[in-house]
Amino acid sequence: MSTDPALAATGTEFSSDVARELQKEGGIGPYRLAARRLARNKVALAFGALFALIVVMCLLAPVYAHDIAHTGPNDEHITQVIKVAGKPTDVLSPVGIPIGPTWHGRFFLGADGSGRDVAVRLLYGGRNSLEIGIEATFITILLASILGIVGAYFRGPLDGLISRAFDLIWAYPVYLLGIALGVTLQLQGLDLGVFKIKGSSLVLTALIIGFVFIPYVGKPIRGQVLVLREREFIDAARQQGLGSLRIMFGEVLPNVASTIIVFIPLILANSILTEAGLSYLGAGVQDPNPSWGTMISDGIRLIPAAIHLVLVPGLMLVLAVLGINVFGDGVRDALDPRARIRIEH
Amino acid sequence: MTRYLRSIGAVLVALVLPVVMGACGSSSSGPTVTVVQGTAPDYLDPSQGYTTQAANSSWVSYLGLYTYAHASATAGGQVIPAIATAPPKVTGGGKTYTITIRKGLKYSNGEAVKASDFLFTIERAIKLNWGGAAYFTGNIAGATDYSKGKSNTITGISANDATGQIVIHLTAPYGAFENVLAFPSAGLLPSTTPMTPQDTSPPSGFGPYEIKNVVPNQGYDVSLNPSYASQAIPGVPAGHVNIHVKIETNTTTEAEDVLNNSADVFDWGDTVPPSLLPQVQSQAASRYASEPTALVLYFFMNIKEKPFDNILARKAVIMALDRNALSRLDSGNITPGCYFLPPTLVGHPSTPCPYGDPSKSPNIAAAKKLVAEAGLTGYPVTVWGEERQPRKEYIDNYAATLNEIGFKATTKIIASTQYFPTIGTLKSHPQTGFADWQQDFPNPFDFYLLVDGSGISQVNNENFGEINDPFINSEIKALTPVLSSQLSSVASRWEKLDEYVAKKAYLGVFGYEKVPKFTSTRINFSQAIFHPVYGLDYTSLTLTK
Amino acid sequence: MGRFVVRRVASTIGVLIAISIFTFLIFQAIPNGDPALRLAGRTATQTQIEAIRHTWGFDKPIYIQYLRTMEKIFDGSVVSYNQGFNVEEEIRRDLPVTASLALGAGFIWLALGIVFGALSAWRAGRWLDRGLTVLSMIGVSMPVFFLGAVLAYYVGDKWGVLPPGDYVKLTEDPWGWLEHLVMPWFALSVLFIGVYSRVLRSTILDNINDDYVRTARAKGLSERQVMIRHVLRNSLIPIISLWGLDFASVIGGGAILTESVFNLHGVGQYAAQSVQALDIPSVLVITMFGAFTVVLLSAIVDVVYAALDPRIRL
Repeated sequence: MSTDPALAATGTEFSSDVARELQKEGGIGPYRLAARRLARNKVALAFGALFALIVVMCLLAPVYAHDIAHTGPNDEHITQVIKVAGKPTDVLSPVGIPIGPTWHGRFFLGADGSGRDVAVRLLYGGRNSLEIGIEATFITILLASILGIVGAYFRGPLDGLISRAFDLIWAYPVYLLGIALGVTLQLQGLDLGVFKIKGSSLVLTALIIGFVFIPYVGKPIRGQVLVLREREFIDAARQQGLGSLRIMFGEVLPNVASTIIVFIPLILANSILTEAGLSYLGAGVQDPNPSWGTMISDGIRLIPAAIHLVLVPGLMLVLAVLGINVFGDGVRDALDPRARIRIEH
Repeated sequence: MTRYLRSIGAVLVALVLPVVMGACGSSSSGPTVTVVQGTAPDYLDPSQGYTTQAANSSWVSYLGLYTYAHASATAGGQVIPAIATAPPKVTGGGKTYTITIRKGLKYSNGEAVKASDFLFTIERAIKLNWGGAAYFTGNIAGATDYSKGKSNTITGISANDATGQIVIHLTAPYGAFENVLAFPSAGLLPSTTPMTPQDTSPPSGFGPYEIKNVVPNQGYDVSLNPSYASQAIPGVPAGHVNIHVKIETNTTTEAEDVLNNSADVFDWGDTVPPSLLPQVQSQAASRYASEPTALVLYFFMNIKEKPFDNILARKAVIMALDRNALSRLDSGNITPGCYFLPPTLVGHPSTPCPYGDPSKSPNIAAAKKLVAEAGLTGYPVTVWGEERQPRKEYIDNYAATLNEIGFKATTKIIASTQYFPTIGTLKSHPQTGFADWQQDFPNPFDFYLLVDGSGISQVNNENFGEINDPFINSEIKALTPVLSSQLSSVASRWEKLDEYVAKKAYLGVFGYEKVPKFTSTRINFSQAIFHPVYGLDYTSLTLTK
Repeated sequence: MGRFVVRRVASTIGVLIAISIFTFLIFQAIPNGDPALRLAGRTATQTQIEAIRHTWGFDKPIYIQYLRTMEKIFDGSVVSYNQGFNVEEEIRRDLPVTASLALGAGFIWLALGIVFGALSAWRAGRWLDRGLTVLSMIGVSMPVFFLGAVLAYYVGDKWGVLPPGDYVKLTEDPWGWLEHLVMPWFALSVLFIGVYSRVLRSTILDNINDDYVRTARAKGLSERQVMIRHVLRNSLIPIISLWGLDFASVIGGGAILTESVFNLHGVGQYAAQSVQALDIPSVLVITMFGAFTVVLLSAIVDVVYAALDPRIRL
């Protein structure tokens, strides 16, 4: 799955290809090699840069709000009248229809249904969407790796338990489980003894999304480890008297690391999309906190009068996810073009 | 292997079949108009239904001893005899009601209407846990024992089928009891009706209409009752058209359907989406109106909890509420106000609001000063709200206002179904949040339940602000026994009480909801009555030529 | 074979029981979660709440409540908290809508996924491949409710080409049925087309160099025969198994977003509404139904897999 035509053409025989290149490049490590291959994939890099640009823009949200728009993400200007092209215009008409893009500092991209600045909310919303995506990805990858490796390494009843738990989560439609957890946990927050998470916290949404995707990563990792544990070098390590922990994280983990790396962008993209979906269904980020998903969802109500409320956050969301996906595809090609990984939606 | 492939085929066939099957038919003579409803009625069995959508059909399908006049505005708030021959004879210091029923009436299934059916109807509503059953159990002697299973009948009601006389004993004088008797849930049912919910085939009743052909969450018919016309009650017209109610959860589609005449009546419980409102106002000006209702919108403030135990904090909130902004969040459907009793009700004060004109811009600076004066600047406030639009938006606006005047407000939005149970649990002590009240009947008493100190309860509390003011309590006590028919004699006393509540800044009232009266060109718009309690009156619908 | 079936059935039942318990527990965690309070309404008295608690059995220990509900699910008498409708009848009523959505969309995404994937592999590295790659990447990055809302606005409201949502019964108005479903079908398919074409493309490119293809070539078969009879046939195996699962998840109520943005009263929308109303009996039945379709179709997929691929033994 490459976006670089040159790579795509040769990328089909990677195993022998790797060996050849390893010889040619004088025995450099597989990750160095992957990095070199990635550096040659200009399309992937360009999209990676696009994503990075969006991240930087969102990080600069407070600067934009303070110095350009002069309003915060939750400040409402419902009854204000502003000048657009010399004409005084209501930010929100008496029946509640918001102003469209003005191309001025404030309300550059118009106002939303509560008279808030869409551009400011877009950037702050991006921060929330990205934060949730990153946290959820971290949770999924971490737990899936640990559970997958530990289960497959030890086999037996523990593995059975983990596998059944994977099957259980996997048999739910993603959004159904997501909204069920979202709706119930938002009412009370989550109390994990040490951690107390408030119902309105972004971390809660991230936890839910992270949890839902665990089996999609955990299953393939477990499968790989099941094969690995029968290989000679693991036997050798065992015979040397190395402890299970050392073997799992010293010997097994490096061998599944490339799979894990390939999963990171996939899960990130999916987590951001899932956050949007859950927010659309009212089970994600809580008002007045913006996210791209809540912005689209609030905007849909005002279609057809104010399509910009849907287009603006929607296109931003698509661009960000597209950036991650294309870049992630490049990473995958660079690491192992034969890998066939896919995520349910 | 082919066997397995065939089994996939079988699965596919099984999946296709339901697509092909399942048509439904409804046939009724006479013209039929389509009402589109955004929310399905809670229940169509009159012993259970409590929402406006349910009452809209059931009040014309299940007449009780009394009902409301079929008229708009204040005239429609008048209770008139239906199955009863005359207003009740009230004796025993307001505790005994003696009523005689009309002779020879027949239900839609042909059974004769009997006096004892009244007792059965009340028992059934209690047994089936009608949402308003407290109006029966709280007032009728022996009804609480019946509901607890301590008695197998309601001892406070006696009925004589031979003479048609019904005697009801109350536990205490209750002036609005005639209104209670006019609830559709007190609409008489034949004693042969099963004591179990009949939501998909509602029971027979006596009235101009009957509810039929219920398809859950999709629609139902409110058809003319052919047997009614010959035994019509004075003041309750027989109706001219059959009604088909279609559930259409997407309000945009709902409004478009009425706008382009593919449906005839827009449910008054829904809001025309703001994005369509300009179109509706320009293309359908002659068939769209915004009608005032007795639905009050307010932010409760808990006077037992800091900071709203301080009157300065509450005053500041009332001064700072931007009612015009809140109205725009609801497509301009709010009439700004500061008094708890809506303008359509007896007892709504005519004096100016104590803390600034609600239709003008708020005085943020003065409010901020008050908060600072009380030493509450920076005090944290949790604002409770429900997920439903535009109530969520009200809360965002309210929280922003609180922050503007110096509090540190955060919002807590919860699922609509769980909202009132949550804030109604006393131990959760909500500081402030959204609340509303829609009249059950046009009597100020129905509103003052919510600020009655003796009404504070552990669960299902409605007095969210935990207001327990001796003056309010004693006035409520004194005004409760006044009969609804004599309400105008105590109007000034209600006004004084409502002014007092406003002056004490107990409730952050921001206005009263206006609702749409919106029909297709097929309907004779000016003839259609908008009833103050039950909305667009089906019996008044006629077709234009 | 027999052992395979027995094991499959046993694990299916296990998953269903686990799912029902898990779902039930999720909804027990709600604070003030006494459903009697919700059912009783705002003005109910304590006595009334008690009565409701008793009728619905909320006063019983939680495991009894669970067992009772399961019993009702199996004898088909389970009713929802809201309005007390029979949940299984509701699902039966909503299923035609979801099935209509799933069948049309499933056909579109399978067909277009195969066509695009095969074209992409055939022209690997050329402009056509690049173009299709870009399209499929955009497809997998597009949230369906955003695409749906924008399509409904432009195609539906603005240009008036197709109705912007709702469902019309096939039996009442076949043309209307088609017209109303075309947009949802495409909106739902976009993501899957993207995924399938990418998977198919890489599988084909893998298979081209496999031994059996070399053997086939060595036997003197024409390139065309090799491609269609061997490469494409074998490459379709993972696609078919993916399709089975995706299709099952849509049928089982997984297309929640598509159904709600186009206002289709299918199983998915029923699920979303039930969750939001905290209506435990309906949520329980829908999740079990959804899981059942997923597990059932994945079992079928395994069998088909074995039939298509001689290397796999059951």
